[in-house]
Amino acid sequence: MRLGIPAKTHAFTLIEMMVAIATASAILGVTLTSSIALQRSFKALDNYFATHMQQIRIVDFLARDVRRGLSVTSSFDQQTVTINIPKYIIQAGDPDATASNIGTPRSPTRAIVNKDYNINYGATTSTVQYKVNGSSIERWEDMGAGPVKTTIASSTDNLIPKTIDIELANTEYTTTAITFKPISVADRNGTIVYSTAYLRNRRRPTPTPTPTP
Amino acid sequence: MQTKRNTRETGNVLLCVLATILIVSIIGATVLRNSTTRLNASSTQVRGWKEALSAAETGGDIAFAEIRKTLPGASPSPSPWTGWTNSGTTHVSPETTFGSSNLRARTVVETCWFDASGVFHLGDPPPNGNRWYRVRSKGTAPLLGLKRTGMDDALMKDGLTHFASIGSTAMQDITARGKGDSLLRKIDFQYDHFIATYGPNGDGVGKAVVNASPAPSISRRIEQIVAAVTPFFDAAIKVSGSFYGLGSAAWIDSYDSRNGPYDPTVKTNPASPYYKDSRHGSVEIGSGTATIKGTIYGDVATNGGNIVNSQYITGTVDNNVPFTLEDYQMPSVTGWNYQSSLTAVTGNQTLTPPAAGTSVAPIYYLVSSWSGALTVNPVTIMTGTPPVSVPQDTYVAIHVTSDISGGNAGITVNPKVHVKIYFDRNISVKNNNLVNQNPSLTNPIAGNLQFYGISPPRDANGNLMWSQTINLNSGTPSTLAMTFYAPSADIVLNGNPDFIGTMVAKSFYSNGNISWHYDRALNDEGALLDFRIASYVEDTR
Repeated sequence: MRLGIPAKTHAFTLIEMMVAIATASAILGVTLTSSIALQRSFKALDNYFATHMQQIRIVDFLARDVRRGLSVTSSFDQQTVTINIPKYIIQAGDPDATASNIGTPRSPTRAIVNKDYNINYGATTSTVQYKVNGSSIERWEDMGAGPVKTTIASSTDNLIPKTIDIELANTEYTTTAITFKPISVADRNGTIVYSTAYLRNRRRPTPTPTPTP
Repeated sequence: MQTKRNTRETGNVLLCVLATILIVSIIGATVLRNSTTRLNASSTQVRGWKEALSAAETGGDIAFAEIRKTLPGASPSPSPWTGWTNSGTTHVSPETTFGSSNLRARTVVETCWFDASGVFHLGDPPPNGNRWYRVRSKGTAPLLGLKRTGMDDALMKDGLTHFASIGSTAMQDITARGKGDSLLRKIDFQYDHFIATYGPNGDGVGKAVVNASPAPSISRRIEQIVAAVTPFFDAAIKVSGSFYGLGSAAWIDSYDSRNGPYDPTVKTNPASPYYKDSRHGSVEIGSGTATIKGTIYGDVATNGGNIVNSQYITGTVDNNVPFTLEDYQMPSVTGWNYQSSLTAVTGNQTLTPPAAGTSVAPIYYLVSSWSGALTVNPVTIMTGTPPVSVPQDTYVAIHVTSDISGGNAGITVNPKVHVKIYFDRNISVKNNNLVNQNPSLTNPIAGNLQFYGISPPRDANGNLMWSQTINLNSGTPSTLAMTFYAPSADIVLNGNPDFIGTMVAKSFYSNGNISWHYDRALNDEGALLDFRIASYVEDTR
């Protein structure tokens, strides 16, 4: 007796194999391509978001210092901002620093200047400067022991800060715009984070002298 | 015979499906984890950091509202500092929870003052002075979500504390924190870093490891100095309307009675340690109608005038300083010690109050006519062995509803007596009938005799219903040591007296060769008009 071969255990024909391999290759190819694209997209998005967070951090840093600042000056190119802030904490190296009072809040003193109360913390003020250095944005603070640098943002993408200070008769404020131009998206103009911060301790300026005839 | 189907190969399909599900799940979990971290950073932490400052400033605002309840004209209900923990001149608020984010605020208010050198002191000021306040407020924002640092935080893995200790600098603190958001937003994930490192008051006392409440959360701290707004600030003469004066040989300078008696040589002696105090004899004019004569050792300000710098004005001239003077109302007498023993001043009368009173709760008299000479004595107590009579600082307030006028009308203020006279109508007296001899006749202090002109009511058109005048007439000898705050009054000063003090009025006229000395101690004295925030700092540690 001769046994019949069941049809369902037949091997694929050559054509069937080629179709199957082609289809599988296509599916694999699409999957790989999609995965890579998705990963790149996620990375770009992640980078974009991280840089956006740096935008927020920069304006938050600036606003914190401007808010407590006595005066603020932005450079002509709007890339450097200089703020004078009260020396609230006694630092090592300050003239009034002792072993027991370093790191403690300073008691204020009072002076009357230009018909206004000036509340001072220490004989001098601290100078804080924000400036762009390559792809980093640095904050320099003149402490008792000398200037100290803090890198508050560092991005391979383009972070372009611009700050201007506006002085009015009775107040002063700064407006900051941090423009982010992502390298990964060539056709994107960028997003901008805006901030406005008022000086709480603005000193009344000396009046412009009337010319002597 | 039929061959059985080989089914062993079906297991491969199940494995493939499970592996696929696993891979997809890992991808999904990774995406979700990353998304959560970013949501934490962007939504929760950034918002919480901003809201913590809002909470701290709200605490400051609540404290400021309590401080303003202490104004003389206020009659708040409930009374100031109700519900606060009060200890001497320090007030601690209860923890206030508010807002949809359950923000928390807690504030410490300390009474303070500054001396002549500008040095800070806690506690109540000396007599005649006004209270300032130091307001320290802490705002806390609870953080929802996972306890995760920001996206690019990199705290130092030094096995030690990540925060500076007392004795190190704040920048070491920053260095220890590495980089990233933690530099700015100091989040208490588990423990309160501030108390652990700096103590609850930030002065290194009472450091302890305590759980953050709530955890995680962000706290921010601010300090504000609240200044008293007083009527005699840094001006010898201040008028909202026209000004004419003084004589061509007159001068206006200044000194500070807290540094000793007036010395006429200081204003031309730069080597004197008090030289700077001599150059505040300023004149402020709220209109363009201004005629300045004599020498001004200070600044001149007008609103549209044409005053120019000259050798006769040592300070600055600014012709663009608009200001107005608000009507002055009789302050609330609630809490004052009313006495009915004096209702009219006729002839020669002597007044010795039954008690010393205080600057905020003086002995109070209501007088309906004043044509005589009143002498006010201090309260005395017997002390020592053998007992001797010792005068006490005595505070008297007199509300005069009529004119103060007549050939003998006047007042003598004896040593240790501090008098404030509130008058509804006019004053017309001789200069030599206004005698201030506190602490002595040769060295009187202007703040011990203060006149306040109550502004007349206004009609439906906003006009004053009657005029108010102050005529100080010639009389010798005369050294006038007093202050006038009468924003609705027209002042005419006749004669050539020495004047120590200040005048604030609607208009001023004098052509006498007066030597006028503004007392810088008056910066802190006089009726409390309001409060304002003079300084704002944030403790960023």
